[in-house]
Amino acid sequence: MTAAVRSQAMFFQARAARQARDSGLQKTLEKARPLFVGKRAKGLAGLADDGLDFAGLRAACEAIRRRVVDDLDVWLELFEARATAGGAEVLWARDGDEVARLVVDIAQRHGVTKAVKSKSMLSEEARLNEALAAAGIRPVETDLGEYIVQLAGEAPSHIIAPAVHKTLAEVEALFAQHHERPVQARTAADIPALAAEARAVLRQHFLSAEMGISGANFLIAESGSAALVTNEGNGRMVTTLPRVHVVVTGIEKIVPTLDDFATLMRLLPRSATGQGISNYVSLLTGTRGADEREGPEKTVFILVDNGRAALAGSDFAAMLRCIRCGACMNHCPVYFSLGGHAYGWVYPGPMGSVLTPLFTGIENALDLPHASTGCNQCGSVCPVNIPLPALMHRLREMQHERGLRPWRERLALRAWAWLAARPGLYRWATRRAARYLRWLTDESGRIRVLGLAPEWTAGRDLAPPPGRTFHELYAARKRA
Amino acid sequence: MSAREEILQRVRAGLGKRDAAARRAAAEACLSDPARGPQPRMASDLVARFADKARSLASSVEQVGDMAAVPAAVARYLTAQGLPPQAVATGDVAGLDWAGAGLEVAARVAVDADRTGISGCFCAIAETGTLMLLSGPRTPASVSLLPETHIAVVPVGRLVATMEDAFALLRAERGALPRAVNFISGPSRTGDIEQTIVLGAHGPCRVHLILCGETS
Ligand code: SF4
Repeated sequence: MTAAVRSQAMFFQARAARQARDSGLQKTLEKARPLFVGKRAKGLAGLADDGLDFAGLRAACEAIRRRVVDDLDVWLELFEARATAGGAEVLWARDGDEVARLVVDIAQRHGVTKAVKSKSMLSEEARLNEALAAAGIRPVETDLGEYIVQLAGEAPSHIIAPAVHKTLAEVEALFAQHHERPVQARTAADIPALAAEARAVLRQHFLSAEMGISGANFLIAESGSAALVTNEGNGRMVTTLPRVHVVVTGIEKIVPTLDDFATLMRLLPRSATGQGISNYVSLLTGTRGADEREGPEKTVFILVDNGRAALAGSDFAAMLRCIRCGACMNHCPVYFSLGGHAYGWVYPGPMGSVLTPLFTGIENALDLPHASTGCNQCGSVCPVNIPLPALMHRLREMQHERGLRPWRERLALRAWAWLAARPGLYRWATRRAARYLRWLTDESGRIRVLGLAPEWTAGRDLAPPPGRTFHELYAARKRA
Repeated sequence: MSAREEILQRVRAGLGKRDAAARRAAAEACLSDPARGPQPRMASDLVARFADKARSLASSVEQVGDMAAVPAAVARYLTAQGLPPQAVATGDVAGLDWAGAGLEVAARVAVDADRTGISGCFCAIAETGTLMLLSGPRTPASVSLLPETHIAVVPVGRLVATMEDAFALLRAERGALPRAVNFISGPSRTGDIEQTIVLGAHGPCRVHLILCGETS
């Protein structure tokens, strides 16, 4: 594991337990969940007014992303050629450490002392802020949510709402401390004042930073452009005011044409926040012209692998289609029980439960593919139709194939396989087990303590089986 | 091996496909003949649709008869908002008779102190109530970004139905993309503190659209 990764996903159970007991966090999550779900539902319902529907758009979006993922090498070369022709420099990075090295190097060559950043999850993968700070360059996050978590010294807990775990009082305390003013009593009516305070502070950073760092929602092959989708306008600031603009983005972000981009834009904001369109959508190509008085003089695209290339053509290729809308976590019962920090690395929720083991090593995130109820809410809302539960399932299989499951589980499975191959014995044993469970059932009709595995019933009761096996019931039914 | 070669080789090994030349030709063909996805069906009155959507995004909208009427409309708006009669403007609208309406308008890039920015637009999209602005020597992007108030002049003849139509217009009239294409849909906003929407995050907190020309 490289230094850039440093995942905490190994400690999922401990982190999850802590998060589940954090009552402030639980309240915040409880409040956010219906908002996220309701906004998306409303946004999608609006499509019908224009004779569009989710299923049709989703099929189109899936096809666009499939086309790229299926021939990713070709699309990367095409994008590189057109971006270069447009005036940008294209660099490649194998992993997060290489991203950090490249960005620090560009910053030093251009005499940068401060870099303003628009939200980029990849820069979290690379721990870019730490690398910049170590090189004496001040990174300033400018998305309000990212700014809040940066002040708190934390990581984002959601890919589109980084500070969803923070309460108003916590934000007030952070602003008072870092903006050097006394703490005030605040109510929801003061939220605009807090946003204005952040605007004023960050405006000065926008005006003085020599470098802007952004991610890209998409890379458009047709025009060699980076597409940036924001609501706050910080993406525009970061790519308009500083002398140097660095785009840090994954190799899988390509879409072929501007028309394909338009199709994806009908589902990305709706899936994320329910908006028909985000406030600002910018397509950035090359550098400022000779007769222009603003815009970066130097634009660099850094195309990052960090585990993505290995997914091409694999069982997990579908994951490369992901457009980072956040809908899967917004509809995940596990995410809303624990919050994003439980997942221990950059990406939370169902997409994180798939990506974290793939990017940081299956053995380093053993619990994540199991952090699922199998309800497939995530798969059903995904705008590019990624079968998230099936991918988590495949990861569980791989854990087993590689001998990464605990010995008790492996032993139990082996015993079951042995038994299942002997029908007579199997029927006898399951009959005994069904009677045993019936016997455990107390007068309330529930199983409160499961004898052989009491941890299963530590926090819940088990519904009792009917007392007879499937074979017995089936035979009885045939007789009737 | 360079990072580039290594990454591309990893991708190729994973895909396990051979016919690189044929695949490249197919990709290039897809680029030279862009296909549209599912298109919205909208009423034919683009002006009404645009105004409706723009208002739902918290922009204010008014319509005037022709370009000559724009400066007076801007002056009225600034007075109503209690804003000073000064503005920075992009070159495409700087030539209007601003002084005649009592306004002091400078064509340049915007600075932090500018309270109002006035821009034209390349076109505007009815489907979503969106402005499409192109950056350029005469049309700096900062005018629609730094001031708290952004006023945009939208000639009715420059309304198109969809983003795809806007791209088609761009390909036809300009060929290549400028440094920055900015789609703007209402004032900037954030929901990052307790999911409460606040207008005026980093960009303008007020967007006023002046539709210009008769609706046919
Ligand atoms: S997996 Fe699907 S739903 Fe989740 S973030 Fe990616 S695109 Fe959105």
